[in-house]
Amino acid sequence: MGDNLTDQPIIQVRNMSKYFDEFEALRDVTLDVHRSEVLCLIGPSGSGKSTLLRCLNFLEAYDGGEVLLEGELIGWKSAGASPRKALSGEALRRQRQHIGMVFQQFNLWPHLTALENVAEALIHVKGLGKKQAHEKARAALAKVNLSDKEKNYPANLSGGQQQRVAIARAIAMEPSVMLFDEPTSALDPELVGEVLSVMKEMANEGMTMVVVTHEMGFAAHVADRVAFLDSGRLVTCVPPAEIFGQVPEDPRVRAFLQTYRERNVV
Amino acid sequence: MNFSFEVIWHNLPYLLAAARWTLLISLGGMAISLVWGIFLCAGRISRGSVIRSLARLYISFFRGVPLLVQLLMFYYMLPYVGLDLPAIAAAILAVGMCSAAYTAEILRGALQTIPAGQTEAAQALGIPTLSLWRRILVPQAIRIGLPSLVNELILLVKVSSLASVVGIGELTRISQNITGETYRPLEIFIAAAVIYFLINLVISGLGRLAEKRLEVG
Repeated sequence: MGDNLTDQPIIQVRNMSKYFDEFEALRDVTLDVHRSEVLCLIGPSGSGKSTLLRCLNFLEAYDGGEVLLEGELIGWKSAGASPRKALSGEALRRQRQHIGMVFQQFNLWPHLTALENVAEALIHVKGLGKKQAHEKARAALAKVNLSDKEKNYPANLSGGQQQRVAIARAIAMEPSVMLFDEPTSALDPELVGEVLSVMKEMANEGMTMVVVTHEMGFAAHVADRVAFLDSGRLVTCVPPAEIFGQVPEDPRVRAFLQTYRERNVV
Repeated sequence: MNFSFEVIWHNLPYLLAAARWTLLISLGGMAISLVWGIFLCAGRISRGSVIRSLARLYISFFRGVPLLVQLLMFYYMLPYVGLDLPAIAAAILAVGMCSAAYTAEILRGALQTIPAGQTEAAQALGIPTLSLWRRILVPQAIRIGLPSLVNELILLVKVSSLASVVGIGELTRISQNITGETYRPLEIFIAAAVIYFLINLVISGLGRLAEKRLEVG
């Protein structure tokens, strides 16, 4: 495999579809994410960005098509037609260890300190001893500039700090991909910057990242490619300059960015 | 007839000895209630439809039948299924199994207030279901449900008095016996009331302490 492995996209999405009952949330989405790439998913609300992201680690079970992580099918036992069988819990957990995820609402565990939040999976998934896990957790907290807050409970942290703890919790597991689901949407405007700068730093260090975001500045300046979704369909996936640097070709992208300019640029 | 503290004083050793049985039934019942309640709650919200139905049936039965009837049933029925338990064991079991139905519902209510995102975060990290429950959901559910759980435990001390019907010499039964000998119901039952009250005062105090200790975030 050797060379092949480095050339192969780290995530391959092939003709993926997803239904919520009758509603078609995603249709025939095909998309690659390459190693060390930052891919931003943008689009109007309800376009399927978050659903697409959540299918990548099987928090949502996609219906048709495939999601491959380093060539391995995520979630299902085989690629074949329906009805297909989901992987065992054990196998799915093994896959998910390689995919870090950060949520809009942080989703920290409120009865655990920042350090315990980060160490939890190191102990109960990776099987590290408490001392070793805490060492690793401290290193992860240092990366998000929160070394001085390790004893704080989530309630005693600002939103931006909570989100950084959540990022530390994910990166402590040393995933090969990080998924971000609107990581700054629940934050007060003055706290957005500290989270984005941590994410920028991660991108600079070569982390592979898929980011659902409304932060067009981040998409324009940090992303390698920007994917635009509309009504469950992938409209385009291009370098940011082709969306932000010129008037986009597709009328849907144009209309979306137009509403953004009207709302954000006062 | 004057109120006589002497009667109380004289019979206090018997009342306190009887209170030990009250405590035994209450504490034994609590232990069963909490442990069995956690399992029942897990069954009640399990994805397996058979387990879920069984748990629901259990809960509606034990909540729907008077505890007094349950106690008598346990006492008289267990020998038929080959379990010849002493009266005290039957009483503890009945009280605990009934209370577990309420504990399960208290915990279920508490679990529903924990945002689903916390479970998703654990799943995304690959945390096994058992650890998710043991480390994340149950500790929070107990914390959230603590005021209601303390309520339930206090109730349990009071219903332990029903064990008198199967001949256990707990506080209420002994009070009745002493009254029969002394013809002093007022003094004796006031004394019994004070003892019940003190036991529950300790429980609610411990509950407050636990709430304080678990109070984070």
